[in-house]
Amino acid sequence: MLLLKLCILIESRQLGVDIHFSPETMPIQLTSQAYCKMLLHAAKYPNCAVNGLLVAEKTKDRKKDSEPVLCVDCLPLFHGTLALAPMLEVALTLIDTWCKENNYIIAGYYQANERKKDSRPNQVAEKVAARISENFSDAAIVMIDNSRLTMSCFEPIVIIYDHHENKWKSRDVTLDSFEDWSEAQKITSALLEGRSYENLIDFDNHLDDLRNDWTNPMINKSVLDLC
Amino acid sequence: MASVSEMYDVGWEEMRDKLRKWREDNRRNSEQIVDVGEELISEHASKLGDDIWIIYEQVMIAALDCSRDDLALTCLQELRKQFPDSHRVKRLAGMRLEALERYEEANKHYDAILQDDPTNTAARKRKIAILKAQGKSTEAIRELNEYLEQFVGDQEAWHELSELYINEHDYGKAAFCLEELMMTNPHNHLYCEQYAEVKYTQGGLENMELSRKYFAQALRLNNRNMRALFGLYMVSAVHIASSPKVSAKVKKDNIKYAAWAATQINRAYKVSHKLVLAHNIQTSLKPPHLHRAPNVFTAS
Repeated sequence: MLLLKLCILIESRQLGVDIHFSPETMPIQLTSQAYCKMLLHAAKYPNCAVNGLLVAEKTKDRKKDSEPVLCVDCLPLFHGTLALAPMLEVALTLIDTWCKENNYIIAGYYQANERKKDSRPNQVAEKVAARISENFSDAAIVMIDNSRLTMSCFEPIVIIYDHHENKWKSRDVTLDSFEDWSEAQKITSALLEGRSYENLIDFDNHLDDLRNDWTNPMINKSVLDLC
Repeated sequence: MASVSEMYDVGWEEMRDKLRKWREDNRRNSEQIVDVGEELISEHASKLGDDIWIIYEQVMIAALDCSRDDLALTCLQELRKQFPDSHRVKRLAGMRLEALERYEEANKHYDAILQDDPTNTAARKRKIAILKAQGKSTEAIRELNEYLEQFVGDQEAWHELSELYINEHDYGKAAFCLEELMMTNPHNHLYCEQYAEVKYTQGGLENMELSRKYFAQALRLNNRNMRALFGLYMVSAVHIASSPKVSAKVKKDNIKYAAWAATQINRAYKVSHKLVLAHNIQTSLKPPHLHRAPNVFTAS
């Protein structure tokens, strides 16, 4: 029996077997909307793996050593079986078009694994991230640490991986990884308590019924209202 | 905290019927089941008659999903009192131990059931579920294969095995499991569509052509399967028509298939947008106080 990831209060643990390093790639930063929608997706399907994409605003000239890449939104993709190609390709195609219309670029990929104690990126994560990297060299993988998912969200529970020397290595997640951590914390906690995840739409839901909107305008509005 | 009956203005019969529908559909909406079931049990137990036992079982499993061990234990104890020697209840006790991650004890529980009744499929499947929970995919796959040698008609097991293989990226074996399912369920469009997805993922021209055939078959069985429609488009347009290895005729045929699929997809979006538009117009015309949060009792 797979445990619900919510309602489990466990002390924070040191994670990340990988050596921390000083990255040459630009670090990503998460807005409250991006962070909370990832967690809502994980909370909606506690017994499944979930994944999705992170998008950033497209800027004309991105220089290294300037500001970090701000991921302004997250697009939940699938829950359950993540390792099949066709619907993923459909999603990437449709989302690519949507990004162009909104001047966004796909900048990252997130995943929460099925089992509570498993938070390492797997082959699916690496494959999708490699695909994203073709268009965005600083693409990151964001893994959700299921074992620390709580209602209160008192600490960030993501592990960010950058591609470095042909391997994906984790970096320290600090408050700088967020545009505004206390806002993200407040909003995510409020939406989890209010069970907003019941209304979160992912691409799977969209394929089940085209009326379901994977951009989640209602949740975006709730986030804005709480800001 | 408002009760379910207050919040949604429903009576106990509707709550009972909702639980039955969720049982029949095999839904895992555990939070909702706990909300509705807990209230039904605590306030209306006497009215439920013999339904109460299956409700206890349903609510107990949902409670385990929500880490509500208090509620799970209550349900379990009622079931133990009523059915003291039941293997079905013993299995529930085992599931509770699994939820508490006491896997050794849970396994002992299931072994005891199997000693008594070696044909008890539920206990065997729980043991496989434990292997899965522990991340022992290879063992889980091996045990499930052994199980299926004995219980060759167990469709749920074939489907579980296909998923385990997909997660291990062993698409060939996943396809075999889905072939078994398609043979015994030739009218099930979902198996066709999943088989097509596996073939697509395997890649290579031959698998792509097979994939296209099965997406098409899924659509014949259910012309509203959007995954099959999208899949047909992708495989025809992106993978076959643009492959340098195909003949001119095959290329031409696939461009036709893709064009057809694209038309159907566009049509489907138009219809759904009209519905969304109509719904939005209707909603915006209602006075504000009638806008409500999604209602568990009206949504499916």
